[in-house]
Amino acid sequence: MERLQRAAVLFVLNEELRKAGSWAGETHMQKATFFLQELMGVLLAFDFVLYKHGPFSFDLRDELTFMRAHGFFQLESQYPYGPTLVSGPKAELLQTAFREPIKRYIPEIRFVANRLGGKTVASLERTATALYIALREPAITDRVQRLINLKPHIPLPDAKEAVSEIEQIVRDLSDQKHVRQAS
Amino acid sequence: MGEIRDPIHVFVALRPDEERIIGSRAFQRLRHIHQLALTYLVYPGATHRRFEHCLGVMEVASRIYDVVTNPQNIYHDSVREIVPRAKGNFRAHEYWGQVLRCAALCHDLGHLPFSHAAEKELLPEGWDHERLSQEIINGKEFESLWKGLKIQPEDVVKLAIGQKKSKLVFSEWETILSEIIIGDVFGADRIDYLLRDSYHAGVSYGRFDHYRLIDTLRILPVSGKDSQEPSLGIERGGLESAEALLWARYFMYTQLYFHPTRRIYDMHLMEFLREWLPNGVFSTEIDEHIALSDNEVNAAMWKAAVNSKEKGHTSAKRIISREHFRQVYEPSSTDQLKALEPAKKVYEGLVAEFGVDQVRRDTYAQKGGSYDFPVYTKAAEIDSSLALSKTLSQVPTFSIDRVYVSVTDRSGSERWIEEHKDEALTRANT
Repeated sequence: MERLQRAAVLFVLNEELRKAGSWAGETHMQKATFFLQELMGVLLAFDFVLYKHGPFSFDLRDELTFMRAHGFFQLESQYPYGPTLVSGPKAELLQTAFREPIKRYIPEIRFVANRLGGKTVASLERTATALYIALREPAITDRVQRLINLKPHIPLPDAKEAVSEIEQIVRDLSDQKHVRQAS
Repeated sequence: MGEIRDPIHVFVALRPDEERIIGSRAFQRLRHIHQLALTYLVYPGATHRRFEHCLGVMEVASRIYDVVTNPQNIYHDSVREIVPRAKGNFRAHEYWGQVLRCAALCHDLGHLPFSHAAEKELLPEGWDHERLSQEIINGKEFESLWKGLKIQPEDVVKLAIGQKKSKLVFSEWETILSEIIIGDVFGADRIDYLLRDSYHAGVSYGRFDHYRLIDTLRILPVSGKDSQEPSLGIERGGLESAEALLWARYFMYTQLYFHPTRRIYDMHLMEFLREWLPNGVFSTEIDEHIALSDNEVNAAMWKAAVNSKEKGHTSAKRIISREHFRQVYEPSSTDQLKALEPAKKVYEGLVAEFGVDQVRRDTYAQKGGSYDFPVYTKAAEIDSSLALSKTLSQVPTFSIDRVYVSVTDRSGSERWIEEHKDEALTRANT
């Protein structure tokens, strides 16, 4: 995917997260992009590693900064909350140029935004790490224990809930695909 | 314990065995790698080398480690859990302190001649200076050094290279230690290079109160995000020094690191190296890497500049004789709103008119995230720096997009821009 087209996908993801009730800061964008790329298969070519608050891409961090530098996003800070990414002065130019090419990704973007939009950072951290384990370490059977080993500050009940939630999301996604194929 | 005099930190203290690292060929080579590539052609004082920078990073990292692991500076149980000294594990505290110092010393061993200039274009796919540093740290020359110090080279690699490049899984503690060296906001690397580059180049923009900054650094749970994951943050009393550091970084980018003439010299240097190096790339064999410094490249450039039969003659002459390309376009704020990439359109127009050999485009956007870090307030609460600071969210995100042309085509290009720019930018949106 060409760089500016990818920026347009991230811009729409941010908008959809916001519509779904998200604060849409950088951490929210990191986790939502991880889901979009790794679970939904949208080829964004970001390299994710396990870092602070779960899966994290340094390339994506740089890309969000690139988007701020070019006026597609700007940071807005509202006490007492952290910063949020909002539309910048050149956002309209980006949207106009790529509205058509990125239409095909809208269903995937909305699926992710609706699932993650209402989550806090701590909840996103747990859920995204649970997805990371499920996808990157499929051989591990006790995913709850693995999650706690990786993130010792996560309480056991929260870890269990995160692992179950990922199993549910994967089931829902599979059902949706079957429905789409049948119709 | 030995000491080395340093213009920035006054003294850099050395522990036994660290002198053996400094005495290694790989480290001594850093005496011959300019910290700021060819910047000395624009700022004559900027002739300092990676050698003293690495010593400085070790000194700063060590000072930060002493402050943030001091039990009196730890306020949360979740942090106490991960800091060995806070749990009374003094052996682990000593061990990681030594690993941190060695990683800070070794973090730049893999730098190519003239530091960052053209690294991406002149190394084979999958290689960068961090990977070369990793190979050196894991290599034969250092094996006995690590044994003498009783530390694992993998731990040194982790802290020196960081998670982004090493792709290894880090514990929370290792993440914090790596942040102390190469962290995006308060890393010792950044603290040292801003102060040192500013001092040598003779520009005061890079200065800030680093004593206050270091004294107020703390390991804190992340603010306002209801997560307990620890991160490097600061006490409220040090917030202004952190603001000064981050503004210093912005000013150093605009005034020094991305000075238009300095950047075009980097491009000419890359073009020279592409012609001069065997197969157009640097060797990743460690012995060959260590054998090549700025000295050899400089000697070759001087020779090539006066002999048209030598490889890289044209680029070398542009550098040595100061016949570098001249900047003719950088988008105004008005042009920025006319097209997605205005400089690209002007570049394409000039290439069509004057030929690709006569025109260059230099584009770069700042890397790293926003300046959001936890701050421990006087009310013993943790807040986001961006919520507390009135200025941090105002630090501009730095980017450039410039077009340069050869000296001979300068006036013709300026005329072309005057006559055709608006049309080129309008066409971009249709």
